[in-house]
Amino acid sequence: MCKIRLHAPLVRALSAASLLICLNVSFADDGKIAGLAATCNNCHGMDGVSAGSSMASIAGQSREYLETLMLEWQSGERFSTTMGRLLAGYSNDEIIALAAYFAEKPWVPAVQELDAKLVRSGKFATERCAKCHGETGAEPDGEDTPRLDGQWLRHLELETLKYRDESITLPHKKMTQNMRKIKEKDVPAVSVFYASQTGGQGESE
Amino acid sequence: MSKMNRRHFMQILAAAPLTSILSVPVAAAGAAPKRVVVVGGGFAGATAAKYLRRLDPAIQVTLIEPLTTYTSCPLSNEVVTGHRTIESLQIGYDGLARRGVELLHETVTAIDPVKKSVTTQGGQTLSYDACVVAPGISFDYASVEGYSEEVATRIPHAYKGADQTLLLKQQLEAMPDGGLFVISVPKGPFRCPPGPYERAAQVAHYCQTHDKPKSKVLILDANDSFAKRVLFEQAWAALYPGMIEWVSAAAGGTVERVDADTLTAVTTFDEHTAAVLNLIPRHTAGAIARETGLTNAAGWCEVVPMTMESAVHPGIYVVGDACVGGTAEFPMPKSAHIGMTQAKVAAGAIVAALNGLAPPVPYYANTCYSLVAPDYGVSVVQVYRVEDNQFVYVEEAGGISPVDALPIQRKLEAEYADGWFKNVMADAFT
Repeated sequence: MCKIRLHAPLVRALSAASLLICLNVSFADDGKIAGLAATCNNCHGMDGVSAGSSMASIAGQSREYLETLMLEWQSGERFSTTMGRLLAGYSNDEIIALAAYFAEKPWVPAVQELDAKLVRSGKFATERCAKCHGETGAEPDGEDTPRLDGQWLRHLELETLKYRDESITLPHKKMTQNMRKIKEKDVPAVSVFYASQTGGQGESE
Repeated sequence: MSKMNRRHFMQILAAAPLTSILSVPVAAAGAAPKRVVVVGGGFAGATAAKYLRRLDPAIQVTLIEPLTTYTSCPLSNEVVTGHRTIESLQIGYDGLARRGVELLHETVTAIDPVKKSVTTQGGQTLSYDACVVAPGISFDYASVEGYSEEVATRIPHAYKGADQTLLLKQQLEAMPDGGLFVISVPKGPFRCPPGPYERAAQVAHYCQTHDKPKSKVLILDANDSFAKRVLFEQAWAALYPGMIEWVSAAAGGTVERVDADTLTAVTTFDEHTAAVLNLIPRHTAGAIARETGLTNAAGWCEVVPMTMESAVHPGIYVVGDACVGGTAEFPMPKSAHIGMTQAKVAAGAIVAALNGLAPPVPYYANTCYSLVAPDYGVSVVQVYRVEDNQFVYVEEAGGISPVDALPIQRKLEAEYADGWFKNVMADAFT
């Protein structure tokens, strides 16, 4: 009886409220993943929208990308700092469900201050990135390609650092090659450009 | 295809007016709302209050916390050494109020687990359907002869609260070159297990960069090993050669007495006179947990692994540093991060119980970064699961950063510490 009382209004209001979707998912038999997803919020922010610039927002990335990334971390195929150690504690099914969970959350661009001059030179600097990530970084082409538009600047800078660091090998050869081809002077503009591509949603005042 | 789904989802969200979120009557009309009282507004208590409201907005949640501003312990070593301001570690409770949490800035004087009520110093008595107890830790000052709460205003523990952190910062700044900085570590368990050893590294870094190159850090330890030991010892040797010395309990490191006038720490075998004495006394669960009878002989609160409900008093859930979880071999560390995952488990279990449902699957995890230099971070990860209503430490997961990690990993972990911090603050308090 209680269950009916709890769920009936939820069904009616499903379109409305993320908090109610969460309540629904938490207690539905097939939706136990919300409890695991809540642990991700610690580092990646509420519902995967990061509040810290070095940490990626993950809400609204594609299911395929999140799944690929997490499974590669879990198996150790892809270099990670802490993610591999965390994900080794979860099953493939849990990881796949987590990817779907965060993929369904809305993408929220970060509100951050950016160097306008660097943003202007970013169009040229990101020429070789656009083919896979899309002109604004909003249209990734494949299962292991993230969207970049409005991601936190510091996170993008650190990802750039990783790909350009020759001491580590990352699984995506094309990405590694392209990142290492970018001229040193163009590097800062790449991250700033994508961080700025918010479609007007993430502009700081 | 996934992109289409996402866009479709966003359109649906955008089309829904906010009022429809707020006006959905989740509780049956006419039924009295359920009330949860949360005692303590640190990382764990704040998280419990927030997630209770988030999971079931029909539940009335009251958070009782004497302070109006919270000061984070994580990253406070960086305040001691001037790398960040105390304000950067502080946050108020407005964010929780916006989520509909009722705030009562008061001290809880009694919890009655039979009548299910909480009484405050101001004389208010609140009845509850479920109570979350998150009082953090209390210090056992008597564990070191000559130490007391009053002496701690001169010889800081700097392990709780802004005043203590700032006092240690002032003392470090005033320390002459060649001065000995002594850190006394209590017998475990204590909160933030790597904290004293991170502090040693950061103090050494401060001395190196602030004209105190002849100064040394001496750690007097009541334990025979410590968290992330191999990583700390590696970093100490590489970055601060000859500056940091660790004395284990077996080697006589346990501080038994302090002479407050001469800043002398007296150990089993020796006496050490410090220029700055940082004396961390033993911990127990927060006083209210003991007074409510929630603690075991060791002074900590045992819980039901599925729910975080007290093993002693049904209807009371203990989260954060006050509880004891995990296994004998791999106890849960007392960290903000795992306290928050405990709080989320408790919130889910309480919402389920108050709605007549079975508790959801509990998930517990910890990620803890330590900064040994501005560009040099190390971490430890722990994952726990629950099987047959017992905590299980997942040995396939977790562990410390690799000893042979590349410089870029140390740099990234230092950067991630900052992002982690901003997110835990936002996740718990807003």
